[in-house]
Amino acid sequence: MSDDYLWDRRGDDPEVARLERLLGGLAHDAPLAPLPTRGPRRALWIGGAVAVVAAAAVLAIAIGTDRTARRSPCATGRGGFTFSIQGGAARCDGVATQGGQLPVGTWLETPAGATAEVAIADIGALTLAGDSRLQLAATGADQHRLALERGSLRARVTAPPRLFVIDTPTATAVDLGCAYELEVLADGRTRLAVTSGVVELGAAGRLAFVTVGATVTTVPGRGPGTPVATAAAPAFVALIDRLDRGDASALPAALAAAGPGDTLTLWNLLANGDAAARAAILARLDELFPRPEWILERDVIAGQPDAMNALRDVLTSDVWLAPPRDPDPAGGVWK
Amino acid sequence: MAVADASVAELVVAAQRGSRAAFTTLYQRFHRAVHAVALARVGAADAGDVVQDVFARAWRKLDAVREPAAFPGWLMTMARHRAIDRARARDPIGDPSRDVGVAPAPTSEAAAALRAIRALPEAYRETLLMRLVEGLTGPEIAARTGLTPDSVRVNLHRGMKLLRERLDGGAP
Repeated sequence: MSDDYLWDRRGDDPEVARLERLLGGLAHDAPLAPLPTRGPRRALWIGGAVAVVAAAAVLAIAIGTDRTARRSPCATGRGGFTFSIQGGAARCDGVATQGGQLPVGTWLETPAGATAEVAIADIGALTLAGDSRLQLAATGADQHRLALERGSLRARVTAPPRLFVIDTPTATAVDLGCAYELEVLADGRTRLAVTSGVVELGAAGRLAFVTVGATVTTVPGRGPGTPVATAAAPAFVALIDRLDRGDASALPAALAAAGPGDTLTLWNLLANGDAAARAAILARLDELFPRPEWILERDVIAGQPDAMNALRDVLTSDVWLAPPRDPDPAGGVWK
Repeated sequence: MAVADASVAELVVAAQRGSRAAFTTLYQRFHRAVHAVALARVGAADAGDVVQDVFARAWRKLDAVREPAAFPGWLMTMARHRAIDRARARDPIGDPSRDVGVAPAPTSEAAAALRAIRALPEAYRETLLMRLVEGLTGPEIAARTGLTPDSVRVNLHRGMKLLRERLDGGAP
């Protein structure tokens, strides 16, 4: 055996060589996916006369050229998601368009007042609202992934869980079989409202399990807040908001204010709460929804995954049968 | 100078100015190290996605790299964060023992070795995956992570010692 073999493959070490053979098949060898369009640089100008002359030349060309005449990857008809625009011209890869194909790595931008209908492969569709920016990041048998940089969208998906994912600047929404509205707020937070089924919203080590009729907003620096039913009492919502912002003193009042329609909110508090709070949360949850005796209290308080998942499953047993909710025109995210 | 011969710092500067060829060369040099960082936290099926996600984000955010020589550390940090996000999105409770999407069958010898490596401390885990899975040598690992060669050597040897003990003891 030689230590040099582990360092730079000089000499020999049969055990290291055996592990290399065993594990080498997992090595990464995929090529780089097409790169997204990058915005203009904000800093690090190269200065000098050459740069000024070059910029002037580019500007002159831009002024004298009809941008719509540039061949856009969205007009090739190859790959990506099919889309169409209503209410004005959108921009796909920076080029004006009324519809076409959105290839991987390409951005679609809608102006205010326009909307885009985008087919999500063969599993559903989404409507992109005006003044929004969306990228197709990946599409394949294992996952369809989009990035919503600004604005809002409505998605409707019929597919196995976790096949459809949308990233925002502050969170990731994972479809578990559903319809939902997703919005990037002006202050950068992400808001999700589920109108059918279930969606997970994750960021910063926290994950929210959001069911039909519930909404959740990310909290700066803390990931997703705790989902609340759109029909929840305003006082309860305010207390949950205090908890999400780190005010643990709001817990007793929040538990006291919780009603039968708030059990999933309490489950999310259990899933993301600290050990000290879990016993009190579970006690209140038991009052609102009798827990099957085979889901043991000690396992839930310990955060044992099987127990937590089982509790979530019994709490959500009717979610999949619930009729889709119309977006709340007053409180929903859709514009 | 040909892109292939350029230093990392030169490639970063060129990529910041918009050169996709330079960025593709950075990808070719770093994708395996990023994959190892991801594989230390998520299954093989997800690790490939993490690699593409990391490089897409790196391309968009490259202007944030003020010191081009710091690119390796910046990229590895981003890879760790993205892999952690991915792992947590897969597993809401954060059960570290749950193996999500490992490519080899769970009963295979490869999966057992992979589980044993994942149970090691983070520094050893990433370095050993770069060496044993991705095939990088110690000097190559140092160049791609921003660690000193001495640190990589220590991580490799201490990690391998622990791994031998755990594999010999049958405790993955």
